[in-house]
Amino acid sequence: MQSALLNRARGAAFKATRPTGCSRSVVVVRATAEAVVEKKERRLGPLERGGTLSGAEAAGKDAGEKARAKAAGAAPSGTFLQIVDGRFRDDRWIGGRWDLNQFKDSNGEVNWDKVIDVEVARRKLLEENPIPSINEEPVNFDTSEIPWWAWVKRFHLPEAEKLNGRAAMMGYVLALFVDALTGAGLLEQQESFLGKLALHVCVFGILLVRTSSDLDKYKGLIDEATFYDRQWNATWDGVKRPSEAE
Amino acid sequence: MAASFANTQVSGKTATRQAVASRVAPFRAVTGARRVAGAQTSWLFAGQTVPQRLFAVSGARSVSRAVQTVFAVRDGASLEGRKLRVAVIGGGPSGACAAESLAKGGVETYLIERKLDNCKPCGGAIPICMVEEFDLPLEIIDRKVTKMKMISPSNREVDVGKTLSETEWIGMCRREVFDDFLRKRAQKLGANVLNGLFMRSEQQGENGPFTIYYNSYEDGSKMGTPATIEVDMIIGADGANSRIAKEIDAGEYDYAIAFQERIRIPDDKMKYYENLAEMYVGDDVSPDFYGWVFPKYDHVAVGTGTVVNKTAIKQYQQATRDRAKVKTEGGKIIRVEAHPIPEHPRPRRCKGRVALVGDAAGYVTKCSGEGIYFAAKSGRMCAEAIVEASSNGTKMVGEEAIRNYLDKWDRKYWATYKVLDILQKVFYRSNPAREAFVELCEDSYVQKMTFDSYLYKTVVPGNPLDDVKLLVRTVGSLIRSNALRSADSKSVNVSFGSKANDQRVATV
Repeated sequence: MQSALLNRARGAAFKATRPTGCSRSVVVVRATAEAVVEKKERRLGPLERGGTLSGAEAAGKDAGEKARAKAAGAAPSGTFLQIVDGRFRDDRWIGGRWDLNQFKDSNGEVNWDKVIDVEVARRKLLEENPIPSINEEPVNFDTSEIPWWAWVKRFHLPEAEKLNGRAAMMGYVLALFVDALTGAGLLEQQESFLGKLALHVCVFGILLVRTSSDLDKYKGLIDEATFYDRQWNATWDGVKRPSEAE
Repeated sequence: MAASFANTQVSGKTATRQAVASRVAPFRAVTGARRVAGAQTSWLFAGQTVPQRLFAVSGARSVSRAVQTVFAVRDGASLEGRKLRVAVIGGGPSGACAAESLAKGGVETYLIERKLDNCKPCGGAIPICMVEEFDLPLEIIDRKVTKMKMISPSNREVDVGKTLSETEWIGMCRREVFDDFLRKRAQKLGANVLNGLFMRSEQQGENGPFTIYYNSYEDGSKMGTPATIEVDMIIGADGANSRIAKEIDAGEYDYAIAFQERIRIPDDKMKYYENLAEMYVGDDVSPDFYGWVFPKYDHVAVGTGTVVNKTAIKQYQQATRDRAKVKTEGGKIIRVEAHPIPEHPRPRRCKGRVALVGDAAGYVTKCSGEGIYFAAKSGRMCAEAIVEASSNGTKMVGEEAIRNYLDKWDRKYWATYKVLDILQKVFYRSNPAREAFVELCEDSYVQKMTFDSYLYKTVVPGNPLDDVKLLVRTVGSLIRSNALRSADSKSVNVSFGSKANDQRVATV
């Protein structure tokens, strides 16, 4: 049977090499008998071979429920982050707050990352489609319900890692530079006052000034902080206040 | 300048004594009189009221070129035989309170108001301290608001007002009733209320009196008949579009446009607003202010305001109505009104013998946009400074007295204004900042501090430990709210510095 298949393949390949419309040297190899392909030991496809997980090991790694349901062909069940009739509707939003029980992962602990994600999504949705405030449906969710370490882990640590890296690189380069200039080694640099000062300036500088637009931002903040004061004192331009003149 | 003033005042006193003892002919001032272009004026010292012949200074527009007598009197000189005359232009809270204090102090006062039944577009909220300080009868207060709801962009509602006691409330009043009461009271105390529209004023030489040209509506005509009065000083209390401010080149100020619709809603909905006011914050409602629903006597006022994007005010108003849609369902709009609200004081709040008070000076707080109390108080303080410096209307006063009032005002209320400015800069910047604001207002310490400073107009420093805890909580709230802002959010960031309005708004 393999030969029949091969012939077929050869025929198709031959056909393919001929220009279309040319009907002369067409080799038609037809299998006379019903070609039954025997089920052999099939090799695993790349999806399986590539380290795909499923079941419990895939917890948290699956596509969202909606996507899974779609792939399985079932209709997506439940409402997620929708505005229905001017009201916010979500299966996990009960009594004006997120029902933390529905965010528990397989260990039984609340997955705070998911809670943060869903609150971000809710705020974005309401920002783009403001809905009227309804007395019967108050919002009671307070962001302080999410513990501080969840915030730190999610938002601060990645940034901190980046900044630590930058500070380390800058510190190393500067230490090398100073060593080359003055011959003072790393420890000696730390002992001097100037060295300690330079170290602090470097580290805090990297913390505060991350991009060049940050400098403009700080200038803007200083302007904002003093603008109102200047407006109030405008009437005293060139004139001393009676309370100061005494 | 101050030194020369002192000199003239001292020499003025000696001249008085001489004049009383023996009639001394008028003589020029020691410091040298300056000639006003086109006319000669003699500096007349106290008691010397010998009229000098001269031509009217006003030039082509002068009503009569006949000889006029001009009594140019120096500051500090005593006025023999007459009282100090002050004109207050504008009969709102600031003008009426100024006129009242002036009249009480024995000064001849003229209060010029163009519309005696004017219903100025206004939130109409007055703090409780105003009732005591200005002896207001409780009848002019339509409602006592004891609950204030703040609603965040994601509709988180916080009831700010849990810490109010039974005797504390915010009074809502009708401006036409309120203003009328204050004006009538000033009139009873001796102020002359003139119904007319101020046109312009002219000063007859330096240190001379002012001639005020106005269109009098006393005879009931629509156009008004031109009339004049002569006064020594002017207090400009004519509101945000002050003409007096233009005349003295007081300078421009940034202003917000406040837009308000009065809506009559069904009784059951009105019950909800019986003593409750709402504040909506959010990008949709206003990029740098808030939308409000304030209860009036039988309807609610729904409005919003903005500084940076005035052309989109109707869109913000629509958004405010939408946010309150369910609570005001079935309502009919009975009136639409708008008015500018100053954002900061004018660069010059006085010039010579002309002072500005109230909205004309720009005394509206940031963040809350409160103006009535400060207008009334500034009118009163200015008048009191004039009364004191003129020894109850017997001496001439000038810029020095007005600057005394300005200095006293600045020292007394600067802290309040600055705190509200800081609040606005921190919490009205962006949607996350507003969410943090509403979250923080849930706390009872914050509510107590807020209401204490609003109702009694003093910045009371609280317990330092609580303040530190509040600071930590504020920073925490702001960080969390900003973290919850989606990366592709379309909301805007607003800055409050010296840049032009269109540059102050930036999308994320």
